[in-house]
Amino acid sequence: MRRRSINPRQNWQAAVARHGLTCHTLEDGTPYWDESAYWEFSSAEIDRLDAATAEIQRLALAAGDHILDHNRLEEMSIPASAAARIRETWNSEPPALYGRLDLAYDGRQIKLLEYNADTPTGLVEAAVIQWYWLEECFPKADQFNSLHEKLVAKWKDLIPYLKQPVYFGHDGSEEDVMTVNYLRDTAQQAGHRTEAISMHSVGWEDAKERFVDLEQRPIESFFKLYPWEWLLGERFGPHALESIGTVNWMEPIWKMMWSNKALLAILWELNPNHELLVPAYLDGPRSMKDYVRKPLFGREGAGITTFRNWAAEESGAEPVAEIRYVYQQLAPLATDGGRHAVIGSWLIDGEPSGMGIRESQGMITTNTSRFVPHLFR
Amino acid sequence: MRKSKEVPLTLLAALALSTTGCEPPPHSCVDSTGHLAPESYCQNQATGYRYVYGGSSGGHIGDTVVGASSSPDDAGVSRGGFGHGEGGEGASGSGGE
Repeated sequence: MRRRSINPRQNWQAAVARHGLTCHTLEDGTPYWDESAYWEFSSAEIDRLDAATAEIQRLALAAGDHILDHNRLEEMSIPASAAARIRETWNSEPPALYGRLDLAYDGRQIKLLEYNADTPTGLVEAAVIQWYWLEECFPKADQFNSLHEKLVAKWKDLIPYLKQPVYFGHDGSEEDVMTVNYLRDTAQQAGHRTEAISMHSVGWEDAKERFVDLEQRPIESFFKLYPWEWLLGERFGPHALESIGTVNWMEPIWKMMWSNKALLAILWELNPNHELLVPAYLDGPRSMKDYVRKPLFGREGAGITTFRNWAAEESGAEPVAEIRYVYQQLAPLATDGGRHAVIGSWLIDGEPSGMGIRESQGMITTNTSRFVPHLFR
Repeated sequence: MRKSKEVPLTLLAALALSTTGCEPPPHSCVDSTGHLAPESYCQNQATGYRYVYGGSSGGHIGDTVVGASSSPDDAGVSRGGFGHGEGGEGASGSGGE
């Protein structure tokens, strides 16, 4: 794999906005979508990433069984009130759509950094924007990207299981609205009727004990780009728990097990020295001297601190409150000119489906890390 | 084999053209007289400010919001029970990861 610099298209802002990436530039005026470079892979390297993604998914499935069989939810700081519903949905397998593994890959080793299983974003860039970029700039090259057709196919499979319309809930942030709009689009192409709603606007009708939209119609199929730990901590949290079984929530509540960073320590415990994992522990860094400390519920780099030779080196934005961390050995990232690249490897319906690359000046990927397209030959 | 044959966009393209990606959510922060106020006033629970749901306005601070319903009581329906991000925080306040 190597990073190649090129000239961006002259009209790149209009080109990416036309396909849905309306917020393509950061507040400081620098591009979030960065096509001044791309990452080039060989076909064999893509095969490795594809296989690694499938293998980690297999490990995660086994870890889910282990967590429930050995009652480890409390250790993961998952509320006790959610335990029964997590167990039920793990067994009943209600509709689930997608997830994204963040991988370190330096051309030699592939290592799992974390599993964004509940509310992954950056999907428009990976599925659509870099695809059109490839078609326009490198039409003879290929890209690890079957996201769009796999999403539409999955939504088609879900038609018998989802009452209509399917609601798409978000908290109003630009990044989330883009992801929700795109997922709505794929659901609609598959034949679903869809509605968008902000999480603030979701209503609870006491008399009928049900969630309703702004026109008081019942919400029975609900894709929410809103983490389960947030849902459960809010006023309607108990209603959300009660509604499981009546409302098809996507992603399902069992995804709390995979989006929780404690999964990393459990994976290492179950699969010590696995080639795709790095050491990770819940009780401290143990003998590691170069490691990263991650909040169990952190998002977008918040609360993460890296340590080298036991000394704090770099920190992300601090979360409001955090009580538990996982300590994970630093994994080598692909670097070029001081930039560090993390690969987001997507799964649709549990199958490897494509990837997107985010670059950061430091080791921590945040909401301002740039998206850089890729291709392979 | 891995290539997408096509990426037909219908709704998304229409939404992008109307720059819906940066559009605010369908609730508004208003003052005690129903005029549009900065979202941060409601987020910080400043005295006299509240969310209303639906309705329309010119979109500028100070505009009157018409046709909106209030929280929490809306014909036996409570609203505003989600959407505060109280259980955790992303760097941008996003629920995404």
